[in-house]
Amino acid sequence: MNKKTIEALQILSISLIWLLFTGIAVWIVTLIKESIRLHDAPDASVGISIVAIPVFFTLASVLTYVFIGLRKGRKEESEP
Amino acid sequence: MEHASARPHPDAALLNPIENPGRSFYYIVGALLVIISYTGFVYFRQLWFGLGVTGMAQPVTWGFYIINFVFFIGISHAGTLISAILRLSKAEWRRPITRMAEVITAIVLAIGGLHPIIDLGRPDRMLHLFYNGRLQSPLLWDVASITAYFTASTIYLYIPLIPDIAILRDRGVKPRWLYEFLSWGWQGTERQHKVLDRAMNILMVMVIPIAVSVHTIISYIFAMTVQPGWHSTIFGPYFVVGAIFSGIAAILVLMIVFRKVFHLEGYLKHIHFNYLSILLLIMSLIWFYFTFSEYLTGFYGHEPNEMRVFWYKFAGDFAPYFWAMIVCNFALPVAILCNRKTRTISGILIASISVVVGMWLERLIIVVPSLANPRLPYPTGIYIPSHTEWMLFVGGISVFILGYMIFARFFPVISIWEIEEGRHESARIVTERITSYMPDPEPSAAGEQGGTR
Repeated sequence: MNKKTIEALQILSISLIWLLFTGIAVWIVTLIKESIRLHDAPDASVGISIVAIPVFFTLASVLTYVFIGLRKGRKEESEP
Repeated sequence: MEHASARPHPDAALLNPIENPGRSFYYIVGALLVIISYTGFVYFRQLWFGLGVTGMAQPVTWGFYIINFVFFIGISHAGTLISAILRLSKAEWRRPITRMAEVITAIVLAIGGLHPIIDLGRPDRMLHLFYNGRLQSPLLWDVASITAYFTASTIYLYIPLIPDIAILRDRGVKPRWLYEFLSWGWQGTERQHKVLDRAMNILMVMVIPIAVSVHTIISYIFAMTVQPGWHSTIFGPYFVVGAIFSGIAAILVLMIVFRKVFHLEGYLKHIHFNYLSILLLIMSLIWFYFTFSEYLTGFYGHEPNEMRVFWYKFAGDFAPYFWAMIVCNFALPVAILCNRKTRTISGILIASISVVVGMWLERLIIVVPSLANPRLPYPTGIYIPSHTEWMLFVGGISVFILGYMIFARFFPVISIWEIEEGRHESARIVTERITSYMPDPEPSAAGEQGGTR
């Protein structure tokens, strides 16, 4: 497998973690909207979202940071 | 041209299972695949005929699947939580242990997380959660927290694995593209090390509250109902303690097995087992304290419905399981681990297996008796697990063994770069740390010393 394909796969894997984060955020927001529509204790849903969304956001950010950091670290070394 | 992987490596014993897996690996994988395929068939039979093929019926509507769900998620606390605590506390003896522990978490969480779906007669209805779920239900908190824990644990396992993947890539181990892809261009530069350290520090701090929240929320599934035997304020910490307890026992069992199979005596020394077994002993005492408090408060209240469940466990149909749980989780491990003479590798193995069995019994004791004794005037229920439930339990354990074997086939189960780092830097780091917290000599004493000279 050539380097370009591997790089494309690496970028795809980072995109997937952001897709997971976006999916979870959209899911939680949808459930909050639903609970507001049904007058069904939306405060509990908001409480969960305050915790869950930042957790997934941080996880996705850490992985992206590692991905970018390792690439930049590699470039520095290859410089003359 | 000489193949890269033919070069000798100072930690060749750790690379051996990857470079020379041997025939026995494929035989065991084959046997496990047969068991898993049969389990798949049994599950599809359950899908086809419905939950009637299980031993669950009114009033006991939760059986093996929920017991195993709580049990597997509990075992998952072995890894990431213990690894994060050891890393944060800078325990130098952690180095050969952390990876093994982290792998347990990732695999067991995936298995445990599937159990509530297996428990559904119509698993396709899981999709309703996406648009009609009620976030105020602890069941949905569980979905969110287990997903977060699984994501965090997988990232936490993967990031410290990158330098070791790069070692395999540089040695030309096949499949090369996999190691090239997963190593993300690791060259071990100072900047790359900084990035890795920073990411691991963030994850360490994040993972501990997530892990604690997972088992607390699992306990809420029971504690948030006004059900005798379940409605308890200490269920959260009680479940977390039980999870860490069973997790440590699971790590010890795996460490002993890997030490024997892969000849890792040089890495997993008696001192590692000694430290972890002392931790297991402490957890056994804490677990007993929680169990005692839980049942004493119930007994003291003497509420009739609570007492029905109480006597069902202490002297009724579930008494053999209850007392077996006390022996497995408290009497036996304490007797073995308190005595230095019996705290040998085989003694620790017996104590750890006993705890794993005992903690499974604890989940059984929690789930079934409360349901078997309904508050409405109905007769006491009976629960006898069917062949389907037993088989899915065996299948779950087989998936765990297979998952672990496949991981060990492609990645080192002991962190090579952390061992190497430890060899070069541990002594200096520990000396610096001790110097930093030891009190300086009093100025007068220093003067006197100078004077006497």
